[in-house]
Amino acid sequence: MSYSTGKIEQNVDHAAAAATVYDAVIVGSGISGAILAHELGRQGFKVLILEAGPGHDLSVSGYQTYLERFYTAISKDNNAPYATNRAAPMPRSGDVRRLRPGLANSDAYLVQNGPLVTDSSYARVVGGTTNHFESKTPRMMPEDFEMSTRHGVGMDWPIRYRDLMPYYNKAEFEIGVSGDVEGQKSLGIEFDPGYVFPMREMPPTYLDRLVARGVDGTRVEVDGESHEIMITTFPQGRNGLPHEGYRPFNNGKDYVPASAVSSHQADMGGRCQGNTNCTPICPVQAKYDARKTLAKALATGNVQLIAQSVASKVRVDFATGRVDRIDYKIYSDPDSAMHTIASVKGRVFILAANAIENARLMLASGLPGRNGLMGRHLMDHPYLLAWGLMPEVAGTMRGTICTSGISSLRSGAFRRTQAAFAVDIHNDGWGWATGAPTTNLLSIVDEMNQFGAGLRAELVSQISRQLLLAFMVELLPEPGNRVTVRPDYVDALGNMRPVLSFSLPDYTMNGIAFARELSRRLFRRLGVEDYSKYDALDPGFVSYHGEGYAVRGGNHLAGTHIMGERADNSVVDRRQRSWEHENLYLAGPGSMPTIGTSNTTLTLAALCYMTAESISSELRNQSI
Amino acid sequence: MSLRPIQSIETLREYLYAAIQLEHATIPTYLTTLYSIHPGTNLDAVQVLRVVAVEEMLHMTLSANMLNAVGGKVDLTQIGFVPGFPTYLPNGETDFQVNRERFSPEALETFLMIERPARPEEHGKGLIKDEGRRVSILPTPTSEEGSDLHFYSIGEFYHAIQVGMEHLCEEFGEAKIFCGDGARQVTPEYYYSGGGEITAVYNLATAREAIRMISEQGEGYEGAIADFEDEISHYYRFDQLKKGRYYMPGDAHDQPTGEPLNVNWEAVYPVKTNLRMSDLPEGTEVREAALEFNKVYKQFLASLTVAFDGQPQCLIPAVGGMFRIKELAAQLIKNPIPGGDGLHAAPTFEMETV
Repeated sequence: MSYSTGKIEQNVDHAAAAATVYDAVIVGSGISGAILAHELGRQGFKVLILEAGPGHDLSVSGYQTYLERFYTAISKDNNAPYATNRAAPMPRSGDVRRLRPGLANSDAYLVQNGPLVTDSSYARVVGGTTNHFESKTPRMMPEDFEMSTRHGVGMDWPIRYRDLMPYYNKAEFEIGVSGDVEGQKSLGIEFDPGYVFPMREMPPTYLDRLVARGVDGTRVEVDGESHEIMITTFPQGRNGLPHEGYRPFNNGKDYVPASAVSSHQADMGGRCQGNTNCTPICPVQAKYDARKTLAKALATGNVQLIAQSVASKVRVDFATGRVDRIDYKIYSDPDSAMHTIASVKGRVFILAANAIENARLMLASGLPGRNGLMGRHLMDHPYLLAWGLMPEVAGTMRGTICTSGISSLRSGAFRRTQAAFAVDIHNDGWGWATGAPTTNLLSIVDEMNQFGAGLRAELVSQISRQLLLAFMVELLPEPGNRVTVRPDYVDALGNMRPVLSFSLPDYTMNGIAFARELSRRLFRRLGVEDYSKYDALDPGFVSYHGEGYAVRGGNHLAGTHIMGERADNSVVDRRQRSWEHENLYLAGPGSMPTIGTSNTTLTLAALCYMTAESISSELRNQSI
Repeated sequence: MSLRPIQSIETLREYLYAAIQLEHATIPTYLTTLYSIHPGTNLDAVQVLRVVAVEEMLHMTLSANMLNAVGGKVDLTQIGFVPGFPTYLPNGETDFQVNRERFSPEALETFLMIERPARPEEHGKGLIKDEGRRVSILPTPTSEEGSDLHFYSIGEFYHAIQVGMEHLCEEFGEAKIFCGDGARQVTPEYYYSGGGEITAVYNLATAREAIRMISEQGEGYEGAIADFEDEISHYYRFDQLKKGRYYMPGDAHDQPTGEPLNVNWEAVYPVKTNLRMSDLPEGTEVREAALEFNKVYKQFLASLTVAFDGQPQCLIPAVGGMFRIKELAAQLIKNPIPGGDGLHAAPTFEMETV
């Protein structure tokens, strides 16, 4: 069958939910919550999901309203497809302002306490931030799990790469990964013998091939080691051509790509069409988003979803340390502050909001943890952008937003002193850096006075040579990078808003400075005219060793409730279970103690599969 | 060319060529109607039309696979391959004509006729006697007594092909009939995006599978609203727009139980029905645009021909041409015809004009 049937809508009322003791109550319907709900629901456990955002049936025509809003929006930021919601506000990159020294900025939902501001965002809608994730799905490098042991920086995970391998396989099945395993192996990532991704790799674009022709084989010296630059494709969570070699990993059957979620048969999204606006929204649903998993979870018949319900307080029985119930605020009008409060009971509670919202909810519930680590070690991938014009027409704007890049500097001895990074070749030109192609259009009209055929020709000539390299730089866990709450910063429903304190350590800045040097070198090799410019008034502007850089947020928000071996240096254990509350799990990117140079979604999905096993065995053994 | 009962491999190839022509014949009409809808409106109707158009392209590919499998040659560039509109369907259905027209209740009625389920219990071999004296673009089968026979439905037409194949295989041996080079088949790796699974055809069994897919996607399985894979058939997909409600698998005829849907007949560009190049004044931009569309469409058919004629790897880039076709069609449909009483232009699909 070439469609995902499913219906996503509220399927229980508040009174019925209040009268039930669920096996598991999950906060958030993003990928973590959807995977856990599906895994528990299909084993017969009764699950309730609380979703802060609206939960209309997202049929194809419902999804189309997201698209129409995005198409007509002036700002094409990550959250452009969604209606403004005062009850469950979300950060938008356009909110970001340069901070006045020493003063927090509380104008927008995310309170920025500095010293740096971040323009990272997340979505509070059904399916969570996977709605606008770019869908790159690289596994983490084995050494990323042992940063302290191997490189003397950061932290070790309580698990190793090999512990996560079987769960990576599961996550790649669920997300529907297209990619080339051989290319990933060449980076030093181990796979099961004979393993291939469910679908063949997304073909590199013409732009990728031009860049590869110019830079492949370039040798880079860093920290006494020589690294060879090679352009390789990224594994991606978008539908491609099923790989027949995957049959042994799928009970002998062909992999069937999961297409558009719809309550009726839509026959769409079975294959990526190469639209370039994967972020923020795939027009055909060929890109994975968590609604695909959520639809399956609801179809088990054991999972209930309550929408427009913002979890507001985790209630703990202080005698036992166990979570007793979760309070939530129900709103009917996203434009109004009117709400009522209800609460829900369960045997197990799982916070699966995201790194920021999980920590915010715990802190707002008065649960900072005895070690005070709740909300600390906030991580993200800061990006440095470098852009220029190729010497020839390069076909920019063709293909998905990114198909290939440089992964050659994701590991190495240099990580003692300097952040690793991965580099994206952006098929969508300078958009992220300059607002192209809109800004090109305006300048051709206003400054060059062109119209009609002249305008079209000039636009094509400017856009089709654009090259943008995005350096995704590692940021290690720092206790000072954190989420807090303060009673004087609340949203329309009276929920405390997240306050972010954020800075980039020298380790990361070393990586950023090195990235800038490398970009210059690569541009020289390619004959690219460098147009990169970092404005001192840019909110993300940072000076380091006499040079200035404009840093962008990566939307890979992680940390805040990191996992560890011991209760004194972490918030959750390897199962993502709270050290202090035995029936509370904090799931998702917040549990990751390091994020290396991998986009976080695949790894957090793998962690959730691992966690689902331990929750179901505990529920079954009545030990909870 | 005349369609006789299938008694030779040559006749079988003629039928299969007619099948390709038939599947293609619906595409200009579905696309014109689809693109006549104001962007952002009639979202349910847009989905239904899009899915059906995509599946017609799958059916065309399956028919091409069958023709290649029996040693035939696919050529979409032959003169007359694209019908002139209004047209009868190339399988010989003559009780209705197909137009290129805007989204309207009349267009919907035509679509229901195109996709109507077979009535084998009434029609025996699927052939009915011609009651009118209208001329189809293809000669139709002749009965033993000499009168013209017609297929009532697309499904019955394919049924005749299957019976013919079975008969020929029995008489000459399967290997003699399925004598095509397997490397010419479009296999799933080359068939990009949607519409269901492609079946490579190498023998009678796989040919039956291809025919089953085509017939059921069009009309449903054994009289049900859905096919064997529980996919709602084209006829009932269109019926949803008429009934204002989605069918769910398992629903009875005429009793959809899914979500309600809305149709807004006003949110449509007033496209001139069966527009021809000759309706467009010389020297106007809209005429140039219509000519450009025909050039691009002709090129599209040529590139599909390359893919169907031994180079299946060329199919993916060829299908990419659909984006350009959509863009050019939308440009035409958004523009009024100069001196055309407010009616809007549309692609003319007149391959002979370029």
